[in-house]
Amino acid sequence: MSSAGSRFRWKKLGPVFDPARFPGRPWLREFAQAPATLVFDTFVRVYFSCRPPADANGQYVSHSAFVDLDRKDLLRVLRVAERPILELGGLGTFDEFGTYPVSVARDDEEVVAYYGGWTRCESVPFNVGIGCARSRDGGETFEKLGPGPVLPYSPSEPFVLSGPKIRRFGELWFLWYIAGRKWKLVDGRAEPVYKIRMASSADGLRWKRHDRDLIESRIEPDEAQASPDVIFLGGRYHMFFCYRYSTGYRSRERGYRIGYAASDDLETWTRDDSKAGIDVSAEGWDSEMVSYPHVFELDGRVRMLYLGNEVGRGGFGLAELHGALS
Amino acid sequence: MKWIKLGKIFDPADHSLPNNCVEFAQSPQALVCDGFVRIYFSTRERDGAGGKYRSHIAFVDMEKDLSRILRVSDRTVIELGGLGCFDEHGIFPMSVLRHGGRVYGYTCGWNRRVSVSVDTAIGLAWSDDDGLTFHKLGDGPILGPSLQEPFLVGDPFVAVHEGVFHMWYIFGTAWKRLGPSDPPERTYKIGHATSLDGVSWQKEEGRRIVGDRLNPDESQALPTVLKIGARWHMLFCYRESTDFRRNRDRGYRIGYAWSDDASHWTREDESAGIDVTAGAWDSDMLCYPHVFECDGRVYLLYNGNEFGRHGFGAAVLG
Repeated sequence: MSSAGSRFRWKKLGPVFDPARFPGRPWLREFAQAPATLVFDTFVRVYFSCRPPADANGQYVSHSAFVDLDRKDLLRVLRVAERPILELGGLGTFDEFGTYPVSVARDDEEVVAYYGGWTRCESVPFNVGIGCARSRDGGETFEKLGPGPVLPYSPSEPFVLSGPKIRRFGELWFLWYIAGRKWKLVDGRAEPVYKIRMASSADGLRWKRHDRDLIESRIEPDEAQASPDVIFLGGRYHMFFCYRYSTGYRSRERGYRIGYAASDDLETWTRDDSKAGIDVSAEGWDSEMVSYPHVFELDGRVRMLYLGNEVGRGGFGLAELHGALS
Repeated sequence: MKWIKLGKIFDPADHSLPNNCVEFAQSPQALVCDGFVRIYFSTRERDGAGGKYRSHIAFVDMEKDLSRILRVSDRTVIELGGLGCFDEHGIFPMSVLRHGGRVYGYTCGWNRRVSVSVDTAIGLAWSDDDGLTFHKLGDGPILGPSLQEPFLVGDPFVAVHEGVFHMWYIFGTAWKRLGPSDPPERTYKIGHATSLDGVSWQKEEGRRIVGDRLNPDESQALPTVLKIGARWHMLFCYRESTDFRRNRDRGYRIGYAWSDDASHWTREDESAGIDVTAGAWDSDMLCYPHVFECDGRVYLLYNGNEFGRHGFGAAVLG
């Protein structure tokens, strides 16, 4: 059980990147969602997903891109990608209408990316699958391993496989992700309920599923869980994720918050949201919701990138850990 | 091979079918039972005013020599999937086999898309009442899209040989528009996967096991495989990828391939031993073949004109 001495909290350092401040890229008009970092000698590359304006039917596509931040001052933007890092998929493929979100890791000289690919369906608004791509130019551009997804759907993970987070611990690759459980009709609109899942692999291509929900639901049985971001620090595995109610979640009261769980063995996770150490602000860009956390260690400090109101419509912000994760 | 046609043996218009199904008896597949043959097929329910359908599985029980109909299913054999599931808008077809005291049903589930008309994936259901009803393993598929098989994974045919489950199936290779205002048309090819338990499958990931005869855009569908002696025989159907619905010369025909190792296949359509019959129910099209053995004879079930709108027929190996 936790003791008072193990508490930690996140000190908010403010917004980092708002696409509205970087005009001239029609495909990067708004949103900077689901940040994920790749650390270089002098800068930190943050991948995120963004959108051009909605089409005539009010529908969006999502692209993924990056912004380079000064390693010594992460609130300073050095460079913004000139084009998306991934092409959208061809007619009828799983990622025809979006690549969102993306998670990256170094693999020798290459950078490997796992991403959510979006297609549009008739009875429900969308389906999502997880694709894989590799970069041989230091993470500037990525080439897909194939036109289809890398993680298959399964009898118990029937749709909406999304939110991949790729990590390597020891000899194995680990993929945390979400899997749709059901589509719930809310005021005539189909809303997906999804839970956090895990798979492991020796080669990153053939995945062994854990095949059960990793994190117990807390606020309601249909709680939606996303962005399972895992880091190993102080001898334990720590997961920051986000969760929300299945209905009315566009409000402050029922929208995304950041949760926390810990594990010693990657198998069993103990959820304790009271320890997450971050909540919505009284006012400002993250006063309605906090979501899509990504935690990374840099130069002796532990930082978190996360989204604020409207799930990142105005970009992402930064927080710094005070106290120790243990 | 030389097939002796027995004519059309089932017309859906002659029967009352469950799930408000009114036309079509597509892709017949046989389960040999004690004293009769149960033949599963896909039939269609009209879905709204938009001209769309949902396919449901039904069956007809026949004498073992296919000479007489004994009964037709009067209730749901397998439920369609729920909201957002891979088999929400239809199951067509279902491949059945007996194994370990159960009946395995491998389904091709259909779900509707926006930029293209549909996608499909393969599900598994089991029956413990000799094939009257089937219960799904889960809400999702056992075989679906993968890196090199990006969509339209369907049309399973499963056989167990020396303790290994073999699945022959199809996967999509392209969606293409002939012209900017034409609806996208699909191309698919035959693939192969294996499994030790029938649940967890290993694909060959994009390997097209049967060569094209018409051109690279040839679509190949519904493989059916039977081992006779040391040789594996495969029938399937194939067509052009455009203008195949009404143009007799571009529609489905039955193709044939053989193999001595279940891996390398030699296509030899001239040995298929069956072709269209002028003036008959199968004058314009031959599709969805299914081969099975019963009482020492080898039968072929198949559909004729209009993809089986008016039923299916049979032939016996001469």
